[in-house]
Amino acid sequence: MPDLLNIGKSGLSASKKSLETTSHNIANVNTEGYSRQRVIQQTNMPIDKGGLVQGTGTRVTGVNRSHDIYVEKRLDKATSSHHFHKERADQLEQVENIFNEIDGDGLNKVLNKFYNSFRELANQPENETIRSVVRDSAQLVSQDFKRVRSSLDGIAKQVDGRLEQEINEINQAAKNIAGLNKKIAIVEGFGGETGDLRDQRDLIIKGLSESFEVHTYMDERNNYIVMAKNVGTIVSGMETQELAIRGTAKEDSSNNMAGSVEVYFKDRPSSAITDKFRNGRLSSMAQVRNEDIRSLQVKVDDIAFDLANSVNALHRRGFANRPSTPGALADEKGPLTGMDFFKAPTTRENAALELDLSALVKDDLSNIATALQDNSPGDNRIALAISKLQHERIMDGGTATLEESYLQTIGRIGLETGKAKLDREQSEGIMVQAQNIRERIAGVNLDEETANMVRFQHAYQASAKVMQTAQEMFETVLSIKR
Amino acid sequence: MSRVSDNSSTASIKFALNKTKERLEDLQLKGSTLKKATRPSDDPVGNVESLAIGSRVSDNAQYLKNADYATLHLSVAEKSLEEITDLLVKAKEIAITQSSDLYDENTRKAVANEVIQLRNMAMSIANKRVGQKYVFGGFKSLTKPFDDNGVYQGDKGRSTLEIAKDFFVPINLHGAEIFYANGTASFKQPEPINDVNNFQKSDASDTANDPEPNLIQGSTRTPASKKGGAEDGFNDSSNIFTHLDGLIVGLENNDATAIQGLLEKFDDDVDRLVTLRTRIGSVVNSIDRSKNILEADNVSAADRKSKLVDADIAELFSDISRHQNVLQTSYKASQAMLNQSLIDFLR
Repeated sequence: MPDLLNIGKSGLSASKKSLETTSHNIANVNTEGYSRQRVIQQTNMPIDKGGLVQGTGTRVTGVNRSHDIYVEKRLDKATSSHHFHKERADQLEQVENIFNEIDGDGLNKVLNKFYNSFRELANQPENETIRSVVRDSAQLVSQDFKRVRSSLDGIAKQVDGRLEQEINEINQAAKNIAGLNKKIAIVEGFGGETGDLRDQRDLIIKGLSESFEVHTYMDERNNYIVMAKNVGTIVSGMETQELAIRGTAKEDSSNNMAGSVEVYFKDRPSSAITDKFRNGRLSSMAQVRNEDIRSLQVKVDDIAFDLANSVNALHRRGFANRPSTPGALADEKGPLTGMDFFKAPTTRENAALELDLSALVKDDLSNIATALQDNSPGDNRIALAISKLQHERIMDGGTATLEESYLQTIGRIGLETGKAKLDREQSEGIMVQAQNIRERIAGVNLDEETANMVRFQHAYQASAKVMQTAQEMFETVLSIKR
Repeated sequence: MSRVSDNSSTASIKFALNKTKERLEDLQLKGSTLKKATRPSDDPVGNVESLAIGSRVSDNAQYLKNADYATLHLSVAEKSLEEITDLLVKAKEIAITQSSDLYDENTRKAVANEVIQLRNMAMSIANKRVGQKYVFGGFKSLTKPFDDNGVYQGDKGRSTLEIAKDFFVPINLHGAEIFYANGTASFKQPEPINDVNNFQKSDASDTANDPEPNLIQGSTRTPASKKGGAEDGFNDSSNIFTHLDGLIVGLENNDATAIQGLLEKFDDDVDRLVTLRTRIGSVVNSIDRSKNILEADNVSAADRKSKLVDADIAELFSDISRHQNVLQTSYKASQAMLNQSLIDFLR
């Protein structure tokens, strides 16, 4: 009969433990990264009693979390990949907006107006008013080049800021992982349950995966190692390797902008590791900044440079629109010929930012030349020639007109952005799918838990009944004496 | 049987709802702008093409403006030529009548006054202005082309306008070819800018100090006035004004033979003017033709652009209502899933 009591007691405590676990599951149904837990129950060692083998009840051997390491890894990988594409699409959408001319004016329309203002001037080369229209439209051109170029620079700078924030978050995450490693080691040391701690660690790893592709494993001394793929170890057991960012000089930067930020290992002599990361936001931002935006900056500069020089080369042939001594090349207002229309760009680099009208044209409208000979107010040949630049192949080594070259660029941005958006959508689908698989395995189902609760409650009641029965049996036996 | 957890089912509800809403939002945006694409990446190729069409259309608008301007100038020139022709015919009639000996000195003197009036009229036509611009002055459009002696002060500049892509037409006649007997009447379409083809884009290092004389065909940096203008031999040429002057002098001096000698010259003048008028006529015709072509091009460009950019309204709105239905169905479906729990039945 003491057996009966013991068996009842073992059932009672096992059911209680199960009920506790069930309530823990229910309480954490909305906890991010939580894996549902299950009580592992085993029969107690049976004993041999006079040739009869007899069960001795049950015992709880542990609490497991429902968890599949490969599903978890697949989810991390899908997360990395999705955040790479998401970041890329988000950044490129901003870039694309700079070149969006679907509603409203953009560089292409402004350039078109510029050429047509010269056509209008060719109609009436004597007319001052049209000269001011030409000057205004040229001013708009230079303003728009500046807008485009400085918006691109702005996005690149913004990436720098985001990189800094990202690195701070990564360092914080690495520290947290190291801390959790320590706790897990201690708790496991005295045989405690570490399911919840491991869930927390997995959650941080998932967060890290948004920044770069993560590889984790246990080394031979049972240390938990976190690696950034293609870069190196970030956490090893309780040790962390922090990352740091540094602004670089223009010559050393990877996108030719002063102060652009690169990622390094902290306190360790190393070259920049910015572009070594695989997948995740980090590599996406570096790629957008160093390749996509960079190539656009160069392109816009090229266009501005070629435009300014082509227009200038023609304009310098012309003569100012004011009467002068025949044969004179200058008068009291300045030179009569050889004048630049745009301020001559000094370098190809930053030509778009520096594009501006020449001082002569700014000062005096009569310095806008239309005539190929002096004292010829009706001569429109220079204006015609400049307007005709629109259809001349002056870009890309004489293979494309300015407009063709610019439109190609817009087309490329559009295609790249479209592709990035598609990738974003697809990778999100894959991530959601992986997430679903994980939740199917690890997620809590309230119906299931409710059913379990009823089940364990019944078991508990039944076990109690067993003990009651044992007690009644004792009483029966004791009452024999009376 | 695959297991379902509360998180996985709410996540899939959220995902499905989000997808539908995203699509609906996109459609709503299209519905409010009535455009197929709102950003380049929606249709990269179409976007680029529509931009190129946009440039073409605004170029065309400018070409049409240029064409109107050219027509205006040419019709002014033509009208003037007509007036001068009438005037010369009149002068010739006078010369024919007065070359016989029927009239006496006094009559001729009286008639001379009439011819002086004709000459004044010719002068005012020669110095005709449109706005501030002298029509027959060549490039020197702000100086009076003919002085009181009928000597040409302008140059032989020929302005051209682009009235369709790469199609240039001359828009002026210069005084010399109208009024001078040996006026160069070549009316070939000049090409002021095949120069641009020769033109190499220069880098920043290559500055203005290094002019290439061939950059613009046939031009050097020598100012035109050094060689052109009044010293070009206009002085001693015989022109309409010297012919009229000759007639006046003949009439005043009662010199019938001198008057007779002028008859042939008047004929030549009229012939020349008629030829010029025909040429203007053919240019005007070509302008009209090109305008028609441009307008047709505009129509087809607008058509193409609309195909590229504009949303198909019928399709759009049927899409919208379809997606509204999808959304409602999703709501209904989620209701069944979200609002039911085993707990409700365990009482």
